Amino acid sequence: MTGHDVVFVLVGLLTAGGAVLTVTSKNLMHAALFFAVTLGGIAGVFLPLAADFLALVQIVVYVGAVAVLFMFGLMLTRAPIGREALDGQNRGLAMAVAGGLFVVLSTLVIGAFGDLPTAEVTGPRIDDLGIAIFADWVLPFEVLSMLLLAALIGAIVLARRETGESGEELTVTRIEMAQDRDPDALEREQAALTSGSGGDGEEHA
Amino acid sequence: MSPIGPLLLATFLFCAGVYGVIARRNAVLVLISVELMLNAVNINLVTFQNLLYPGDPAVTGQMFALFIIGVAAAEVGVGLAIVFNMFRNRASVDVDDADLMRW
Amino acid sequence: MQIDFIAILPEIILTVTALLVLAADLALRGDAKQFVNPLAGLGTVAAIIATVALWGSERVTFGTMYVVDDFAVLFKLLFLGTLLAILAISWRYIAEHRFFQGEYYFLLLTSFIGMLLMPSSRDLIMLFIALETVSVPAFVMVGMRKRDLYSSESALKFFLLGVLAAALMLFGMSMVYGFAGTTDLVGIAAAISGETASVPLLLGSVMLVLVGFGFKISAVPFHFWAPDTYSGAPMPVAAMLAVASKAAGFAGLVVVAFIAFEPVADVWGPMLGVLAVLTMTVGNLIALQQRDLIRLLAYSSVAQAGYILIPFGLARTGPGAAVVNAAAIEAVVFYLIAYAVMNVGAFAVAIAVERRTGLRSIADYAGLSGRSPLLAMGMTVFLLSLGGAPLTVGLWAKFAILEAIAVDITLFGIVLAGFLVVNSVIAFFYYLKVVRTVWMDEAPAGLPQLQPGFNLSAVVVVLMVGTLVLGVLPGLVTDFSSVISIVAAG
Repeated sequence: MTGHDVVFVLVGLLTAGGAVLTVTSKNLMHAALFFAVTLGGIAGVFLPLAADFLALVQIVVYVGAVAVLFMFGLMLTRAPIGREALDGQNRGLAMAVAGGLFVVLSTLVIGAFGDLPTAEVTGPRIDDLGIAIFADWVLPFEVLSMLLLAALIGAIVLARRETGESGEELTVTRIEMAQDRDPDALEREQAALTSGSGGDGEEHA
Repeated sequence: MSPIGPLLLATFLFCAGVYGVIARRNAVLVLISVELMLNAVNINLVTFQNLLYPGDPAVTGQMFALFIIGVAAAEVGVGLAIVFNMFRNRASVDVDDADLMRW
Repeated sequence: MQIDFIAILPEIILTVTALLVLAADLALRGDAKQFVNPLAGLGTVAAIIATVALWGSERVTFGTMYVVDDFAVLFKLLFLGTLLAILAISWRYIAEHRFFQGEYYFLLLTSFIGMLLMPSSRDLIMLFIALETVSVPAFVMVGMRKRDLYSSESALKFFLLGVLAAALMLFGMSMVYGFAGTTDLVGIAAAISGETASVPLLLGSVMLVLVGFGFKISAVPFHFWAPDTYSGAPMPVAAMLAVASKAAGFAGLVVVAFIAFEPVADVWGPMLGVLAVLTMTVGNLIALQQRDLIRLLAYSSVAQAGYILIPFGLARTGPGAAVVNAAAIEAVVFYLIAYAVMNVGAFAVAIAVERRTGLRSIADYAGLSGRSPLLAMGMTVFLLSLGGAPLTVGLWAKFAILEAIAVDITLFGIVLAGFLVVNSVIAFFYYLKVVRTVWMDEAPAGLPQLQPGFNLSAVVVVLMVGTLVLGVLPGLVTDFSSVISIVAAG
């Protein structure tokens, strides 16, 4: 066991534990915080794998931006706290699917990559990365910039309070379903409609 | 270092994400679970790059991981905006409440 | 590295147009904002010209990442033609209701940039970025009727399923990279032939990659989002998702399946064949029960995706496979062109009917023949063509699939052909139900006459003529598609 292995095992256990708590925690904010820990752990995993630059990006983008964004999202939507409110009735099913998938996938992974010899970890130098992204990968890089602009504008369009700049309010769609819906659902929909189009929008905006 | 350790960790994270997607009802938590799956993919890519194909001048694996991080950030932004809009209209972010349409 | 800018000129033009639209929206005020639509249309026409100029040439640029051949050009023309039609049917719809107009057109153009990139990409990373560029703006556009519960709910469903499919696809791609050591599609094909081709993990990963595209084309069991999303989205967006976005998914599927995963075609071929049967059967059976026209069109488009998947089921590897695969690709391309013509037309009519009255259930189409003969004629032609009636392009599209099956007849091929025929018969029930409502049923009193605007009428007329002309002279397109397939398979 080299030093790399020791570091990897320790950080890996932390990451795996964080992931489990992220998806099972009963408290929303705890789940988001454990998610941040998991993301930080993954940055830690990148270090013994000699991907220093990626570890840095992981911290800046994921821990710094995405995790915080999620916390804002959870706080602004003021979702209820408590296990029953967070998890559906499918916990057993989820356990079975995820567990089964893990057994199958890990068997396949060990079968395919298990007998590879241990190798010296050699990461690219950061200038190699820079040259690669602007020489070999310049097209996806440019397209990604367009995608990010679209995401930025799209997020603003959806998140701002006004529904649009001009024209009349759309008539609310009435879609006839193939099967008649239970009257309960219709009632709830009506209630949501009135609360949604009333003062609600102002309050949460 | 053997590649099998990181690969198994990635598999575990991926399956934890799958568990979260199925079990969670809050749309934001479902999105968090999907992000876990994407991070698992990144561990896979970096492991393959640095242990199996280290000599690649195009650094394919790490580049792929960088692109995934970029796209994932865009998705989170758009996704939270969609969840917000839904919350404004329905005062709920529960995916089980999104039941206006069946069949 | 030398970059061939001519090869990516259509994409560059569309990008510049998208940014101009955004700037113009800032400068214009009030009612003038709607004139970003013709601006976007001009850009699209310029992109079409740039694309036509690429016909017949074969350009490779960005290393081997980006290839413009006749296959790609044909797909790009399909996308740009659809974009032009969608711009025309969007104009009034978007201008009359509360939308952020400039942002809508910007997002629409960005999504189409992703589509244009798809058939030219020869690299997994590029395919992934292109796929996301199609999807992310679409997530937003679906939710753009912001105060409508259906719209926000369908956006949420579409988004969550979309990112989940992307995550599954990426896990598959990462494993494929692990086996091949490259993301170049030709390189992958070279690396996974031979012994590697039978490793179970690789086969599983290939399936996961196909899942990502299966979501975009709304194949069973990834079809759940389609009817909900189409009915909740603004109608022009529904038309875009049903036609252009689906065609982009098929373009990506052709590229990744027939180039990168060609050595394992014996595995994914039959799988996709079974998926095709499931998709068309489930789509048609549920479509039979629909009362809302858009949901009917949505399930019908699921079924159509099943038909288009049939040629994938014929794919194989080994000696003699090239002929079969080429015929399969040809059938896919021809069917997609026919599908685009008739399905955009059907959505155009649906928009014309809904725009004035807000009515959209099938019962509301009663007596349409009296209220607007043009729309009634259009709807009839488009629906009959979707069903595959004689004298319409729909029949030839189905023939193209049968022709691909006949290239090398196998038992599986015959079974697929049988399902195609049975399903076409089932589909006629619900298409004819709508046609009967349009012509036979008495219109409820008090409904106004419909007078669709110039743009909408032009789109309906052009597409109707296209459906009928191609129905008599399919050679106009089949000649092109037989040129391209050989290039793509080579």
